[in-house]
Amino acid sequence: MKTVLPWLLWLWIASTIVCAYLLAPPMKGFAAHGESSRLLFFHVPMAWTAFVAFLAAGIWSALYLKTRRPRHDRAANAAVQIGLVFCLLATVTGAIWARVQWGAFWNWDPRQLSITVALVYYAAYLALRSQVEDAEVRARVSGAYAVLGLVVAPFLFFFAPRVAAFSLHPQPVINKEVLTGQQGPGMDPTALAILVAGALGFMVLFFWLHNLTTRLAALEDDRNEPA
Amino acid sequence: MSDPGSTSAAAWVAEAAAVFAKDWRCEFRTRYALNTLGLFAFTTLVVVSLVLGPVGVAPGLATTVLPVILWLIVLFAVTAGLPRIFVAEEETHTATALRLAATPSALFAGKLLYGFTVVLALEALITPLFLAMVQLEARRPDLLVAALLAGGYGLATGSTLVASIVAQARGKSALFAVLLLPVLVPGLLFAVQLTRAAVGGEAPGVEVQMLLLYDGTLTVAGLMLFPTIWNP
Amino acid sequence: MTPEPRDPSLAFTDVRRRFGRLRVLTGVSGRVGAGEALLVSGPNGSGKSTLIRILAGLLAAEGGAVEYRLGSRVLDIAERRRAVGYAAPDLALYEELTTLENLEFFCRLRGAPTGRARELLERVDLPLDRLAGALSSGMRQRLRWAWALLGRPQLLLLDEPFQNLDPAGVEQGTELLSRHLDAGGLAVVANPGPLEIPRVRSRIDLGRGLGR
Repeated sequence: MKTVLPWLLWLWIASTIVCAYLLAPPMKGFAAHGESSRLLFFHVPMAWTAFVAFLAAGIWSALYLKTRRPRHDRAANAAVQIGLVFCLLATVTGAIWARVQWGAFWNWDPRQLSITVALVYYAAYLALRSQVEDAEVRARVSGAYAVLGLVVAPFLFFFAPRVAAFSLHPQPVINKEVLTGQQGPGMDPTALAILVAGALGFMVLFFWLHNLTTRLAALEDDRNEPA
Repeated sequence: MSDPGSTSAAAWVAEAAAVFAKDWRCEFRTRYALNTLGLFAFTTLVVVSLVLGPVGVAPGLATTVLPVILWLIVLFAVTAGLPRIFVAEEETHTATALRLAATPSALFAGKLLYGFTVVLALEALITPLFLAMVQLEARRPDLLVAALLAGGYGLATGSTLVASIVAQARGKSALFAVLLLPVLVPGLLFAVQLTRAAVGGEAPGVEVQMLLLYDGTLTVAGLMLFPTIWNP
Repeated sequence: MTPEPRDPSLAFTDVRRRFGRLRVLTGVSGRVGAGEALLVSGPNGSGKSTLIRILAGLLAAEGGAVEYRLGSRVLDIAERRRAVGYAAPDLALYEELTTLENLEFFCRLRGAPTGRARELLERVDLPLDRLAGALSSGMRQRLRWAWALLGRPQLLLLDEPFQNLDPAGVEQGTELLSRHLDAGGLAVVANPGPLEIPRVRSRIDLGRGLGR
């Protein structure tokens, strides 16, 4: 199964890309005659995966703090490392889409704010780990920071962005949320299927990469640890 | 006394109070916060006002922009001055004694209270001067006080917790800001919005409730996470 | 066959610890019971201080176990931290406070009556109103002894307890240790060279240190 999975994944994601360009219809309300909507088939799954990674890192960190088993710490670290890549891609694709759709890279959209703060939080976690030498202290301390992130997450991703976006700031209020809200239940079934397929593919990709990273980290730790 | 059982509530409070008193007593002997940090805050304020002055801020934008600048100055001072709460203990090697003698959550509470009073002192210094320098008036002073209190408390709690993390790492000063800012983003946003309402004389939205919720959440998280950060 | 140590007792088995790639402790074991002292010797870098810190709960061991038993209970690491009396070269008190203010602060933390601070300072012959930052190295060491005894601990963990002490100080320390052991307390003492202390039940030699 392990050797088959990468090929399956490759095929799945490649098909999603092809379908996104050939099969999905251009969506109403999107710029460039609806063609810009194709970016969403990649942006949205990547953003979802980034948030799942954030959540997973927090949960594994909490597990580590409870059990003190190194593998939980390795899992949390790997989740952040890979999640950071997804987060970066999501932020960049989101900014590109915003530029095409609304003419500016940054729009105080709640989702844009959320993903950017998540990016900063990820990077901060990794910066912290790089500055602590002792393995036990590092695991404890970064674990606590990750759990703090989980606690602050509702504020970061829900409360604060809404307060910021719908404030005195004079801005076009039509945002992604409103658009995708319209398209939620009423979205074209083909497009919805491709979106979900893409999301599935990216999440499996994340967990596969995560698995590889943790196994590699375990081997490295074994090499350092005396028998 | 040598009974290692858990502390009663009264003993816990006494411990936290002892830590608070000790920190302020040491502060009065060295006058770090009162002199150095206060001067730092004042200098920042003067520089910002000087740069802002000649250019000025268009009247319509004053209520939107100036509260942000005020909070940035407070944040700047906090980033410079608050890591000391735990970093100083590690650097002078007094942390070992604390680890062996103090109940962690009580220690955190005492340090948090100390940090909060330092933030309040900074705000008391910066805010009136800032308002005077940029000629801004607080039409709803009650909201301004609420923002300074609740917002300041959030800054203090986040800073105290992150200071304890950073005290055990290298590269402490830069790392402190990097770790602290994402945590403070919600609190700063709410505090700025509330300050805007105070200056503009409007009714606030949900900012006060949000700030209180945020402050409460950080406090509980701090009390629960600190023991893990502090001790093996 | 050595008899089982009486209550309270400290036992540690197969304690391991490394710093990065450097293996400092590779499976150290020992035990000590009421009224007994355990002497840990070894050159610089052999891991004596590391072992003492692990026993005190200041450092986590990477393997093995530490059991401090009081009555029928084994204390967990947090309880052990608060229960021991610890003195080591890396322990410092607040320079801006006087000796009395320092010890009274720690009395308040431990829930002990503040009179204990005065009592201990008199016992180790230290002035009450001298700033801790103004003490000589010998006086700092006496202050460490006073601090270690503050909570009336039953377990004393002492790392190089006689460093910087003049002969009077050494005599005082030995007297304090004897009285502690007479009263049924236990002690683990680490020292680079040989040491004359009473009631040594066992010794651990941590070998040649770095470059083993």
